[in-house]
Amino acid sequence: MWQSFASYIPIISSAVPNTLILTFLSFAIATALGIAMAFAEVFATKAVSIVVDWIARVLRGIPLIISIFIVFYGLPKVGVVLPSLYAAILGIAIVDAGYQEQIFRGAIKAVSTKQLEAAYSLGLARAEAFLYIVLPQAFRIALPSWINDFTVVLKDTSIAYAIGVVEVFTQAVHVAQVIMDYVWPLIFVSVIYLAICYPLSLLSNYLHSKLKSMGMLGSGM
Amino acid sequence: MRDKLLIVEDLWKFIDGKPILRGVAFEINEGETKVILGPSGAGKSTLLRCINLLVMPDKGKIIFDGEDILGKRDIHSVRSKIGFVFQHFNLFSHMTALENVMFGLIKVKKMSKNEAEKKAKGALAAVGITEELWDKYPAQLSGGQQQRVAIARALAMEPKLILFDEPTSALDPELIWEVLNVMERLAKARMTMIVVTHEIGFAMRVADEVMFLDNGVILEKGAPEQVILNPRNERVKRFMDRMKYVYSIGKGNVY
Repeated sequence: MWQSFASYIPIISSAVPNTLILTFLSFAIATALGIAMAFAEVFATKAVSIVVDWIARVLRGIPLIISIFIVFYGLPKVGVVLPSLYAAILGIAIVDAGYQEQIFRGAIKAVSTKQLEAAYSLGLARAEAFLYIVLPQAFRIALPSWINDFTVVLKDTSIAYAIGVVEVFTQAVHVAQVIMDYVWPLIFVSVIYLAICYPLSLLSNYLHSKLKSMGMLGSGM
Repeated sequence: MRDKLLIVEDLWKFIDGKPILRGVAFEINEGETKVILGPSGAGKSTLLRCINLLVMPDKGKIIFDGEDILGKRDIHSVRSKIGFVFQHFNLFSHMTALENVMFGLIKVKKMSKNEAEKKAKGALAAVGITEELWDKYPAQLSGGQQQRVAIARALAMEPKLILFDEPTSALDPELIWEVLNVMERLAKARMTMIVVTHEIGFAMRVADEVMFLDNGVILEKGAPEQVILNPRNERVKRFMDRMKYVYSIGKGNVY
């Protein structure tokens, strides 16, 4: 029943900005937390590293809906009341931080220690060697997975529906309930997600093959 | 009285409680090429790494250029005067050939970009890396080319001593020649070098002195003709006979 659905399209598409805000903010917070945890794991003392690793594992282990519910329904018990949009952002960010920690830790460790030795042998100090040799390569190595993770977060934002955040999936469900047809609203909202994810996944693939041709993935040299 | 560039005295190194170097001692004069031979696990790499302080010795003395470097706080300036060429080249993957050579000049020697570029191009030319390869990344170069870029990277820093840690062991036979050729030219130009290698032909032609290291101890040292062709020590003799068979030098007794 496309005709009855067509007039409701603006209701769904008007929520695109909210979906993007949800995605960008939770992704950005998760990146900051993820990088901080990855650095702590690689460079801090063994005890700190073990604790951080454990925290990241726990974060990855929390089902997203539980994380969002804890923030939205749980935090008010200790006096922190967040509007549903912010609760969703924080809930998604916490879990995703656990995944991004993995991405950035892997990337830092993927830079061969042989190159560090070469930098030391030229007379560079440890901090300089990390800054000029490890970091530029780690960021490049992390980039394809990082972009991929962005698309995962984008799709995860649909769970904000559970606490009533107005985003594209919530609006699609509302429209479906009004016109008593789920098919077109769900197809339409899927196309919105796909339209954003597909170009990004192409970009991620392109960057991955570029890194591979530069010998920065898995050669160990 | 500056001609003794490096004096190593009673050098010991333990790794996980096991002695890797057991009282190694030798000297090297300026302009001399020394070749270290010996089986895998003899401590050859560890010895080289101790000299530029990538590995800290547990006991002993290393006098480099008139200074006791084990007591020094500024190990970075010591390392910048000692070049190191690795078995696996260890080039920086995210930098072109030219950038690899310029890197130390800019970050350690604090040269301007122009100055560093001029110097780096000179060093690359000296090892036979021609202009069309300057902007290639390491992964786009052959093993022999990568190793020559690595030698240029060490050379550009104008080190007083270059340490080579099995520089041809990761190369195809045909590419070994181009790297050994560059090293031989350096030796002829009186660069001071310590070379860990299994290339006994190179040692015969180029070395001023050959040392045989086994189990962390120097078993024999002397002129290449003596150590390689007429060793006195039984262990050295057994090793050299096999090497001569592999490299078809003289007529070795095959066991």
